[in-house]
Amino acid sequence: MNTQSTRLDDLMLNDRGFVFDPNTGESYQLSATGLQCLRALQRGATTAAVLAELLETREVDALTARADLDAFLWELNQLGWL
Amino acid sequence: MSKQPYIVPAIRRVSQSSANPQRLGRTPVIDVIDGVPVAGLLARFGGPLFVFSEAGLRAKIRDAKRAFAAVYPDVTFAWSYKTNYLDAVCRVFHQEGSMAEVVSGFEYEKARANGVPGARIIFNGPYKTTAELRRAVDEGAMIQVDNRDEVVALARLAAEMDRDLKVGMRVHVDTGTHAVWSKFGFSVEGGEALRMIRWMTENTRLRVCGLHCHVGTFMLDAGAYATAARAVTELALEAEEAGCPPVSYLNLGGGFASRARLHGQYLPPEQATPSFDDYARELSGTIKDCWPQGRTLPKLYLETGRALVDEAGYLLASVVAVKQRTVKDAGAALAAYGKGGAGGALAAYGKGGSVVAAVGGRRNAVVLDAGIQILYTTAWYQPSIYPAAEPRTGVQPTTVYGCLCMNIDVIREEAALPDLRPGDAVVIHPVGAYNITQSMQFISYRPAVVMVGTDGHAHLIRRRETLEDVRGPEVVPGFLSEINGTAGEARVDRQ
Ligand SMILES: Cc1ncc(COP(=O)(O)O)c(C=O)c1O
Repeated sequence: MNTQSTRLDDLMLNDRGFVFDPNTGESYQLSATGLQCLRALQRGATTAAVLAELLETREVDALTARADLDAFLWELNQLGWL
Repeated sequence: MSKQPYIVPAIRRVSQSSANPQRLGRTPVIDVIDGVPVAGLLARFGGPLFVFSEAGLRAKIRDAKRAFAAVYPDVTFAWSYKTNYLDAVCRVFHQEGSMAEVVSGFEYEKARANGVPGARIIFNGPYKTTAELRRAVDEGAMIQVDNRDEVVALARLAAEMDRDLKVGMRVHVDTGTHAVWSKFGFSVEGGEALRMIRWMTENTRLRVCGLHCHVGTFMLDAGAYATAARAVTELALEAEEAGCPPVSYLNLGGGFASRARLHGQYLPPEQATPSFDDYARELSGTIKDCWPQGRTLPKLYLETGRALVDEAGYLLASVVAVKQRTVKDAGAALAAYGKGGAGGALAAYGKGGSVVAAVGGRRNAVVLDAGIQILYTTAWYQPSIYPAAEPRTGVQPTTVYGCLCMNIDVIREEAALPDLRPGDAVVIHPVGAYNITQSMQFISYRPAVVMVGTDGHAHLIRRRETLEDVRGPEVVPGFLSEINGTAGEARVDRQ
């Protein structure tokens, strides 16, 4: 079993969407949905599951949510978190 | 369980200076204009949509008249047509007792078509044709002569009619506040204006009975009017001393600032814009000071434009797309909000690790269905942009793009706005001055204009442009009558 924590696990989040990345010392601000998505990802949710959660909890159509989520995941990827 | 509103999942790097962008403060919402819901206006008339408040227009002109009446015995306002010549807007001012101030034959015709008699028109401007001058003379308009060629043309008319003609003379004055508007009229400094008045008296049947000086526009320094008023009052007295007929009126033009915010203006308009009382005090105090004791004060005319109409005008527009835009230094942008200390915020990148500029340097951006082709004043002002409904989030710096396929079409480089989605309406304000008259038919149709009346109803005062409005004046030469074997719907010149 791999016991090493990932960059994603290391992130420290608070309820207001503030994120601290201990690996770089940088801080970030998430929108409310950004926080929701990042938390889901930390729990190990797949992209499909995150999308499903957005659609279940928010007033949004599937295509818009999909487009926005993909852009968001791309940014997290850029940060080396995924 | 009901669902929560949707906002875009987004992440933004927090630099030292930006702190929590949610703390930039709240933007007030404009969801009704004089009691009429913005959403209803857009549903009924479509968007984008200009909206004018009748109550707002009347309140301004009444406040201006009150301020001047309190300190000066004889003041008349003339509505500056070029500032906004929508008939409905002009008629509100005419109902409030304003004359018409026009600067071309076209504007003169528009004022006459509004039922304004010639004698209630002030005819300004550097270009008046002889035919236009003849009509203005016949109808008794107040002509403010701008240049020597116009003096000559008017002198010929007077000779032809074998009568004396009363005219006003436009002059320019160095107020020390900005570059002198020397394009217009004769120079007071150096004596050009005085010489010309004498020349007219001695050589023509033109009688200079008024002096006109419009110092400039958006004068944030009310003191400039004291300088101008002193110069024209002294000129009037000098001319009389030199044997010319007495000057019975002074026209100090327009130029009072509206509550808009200029680019680079540090103080908010609430602090920077002088009140009508401030301007009135400067003008009245100076004229009374310079005028001989015991003699009836000259009549005062004012041609205030933007200060009377700007804030009564709103543009309702809708978000059509939401973007993230890459900015070089997001920290610097935030510093503009007074959060301070942004310089070198991005030096933090030197820490190593995988901080990505692309994420840190992102700013929200929205594209609206209206652009700078109908918002000429964005060249001068930073209009406020308000959400038309309760915001879903706190505000953050947002670039507001217009709808044109032109890179310069930026309505605000950086406005404090909450998260917006396509379809969300925003209200841009103030936009009542010059945008209607200077808007272009470019790329899209010019929008409809409504006036929210004091009767509580919205009235259409200009319908949206149609294809026929644009193509109407066009004629296609016969040799272009067919393309690919079809004639289309062009109006073909059959000669
Ligand atoms: C002769 C004259 N009068 C009045 C005005 C109205 O000016 P404002 O809108 O600055 O009050 C102008 C505008 O340029 C003008 O040229």
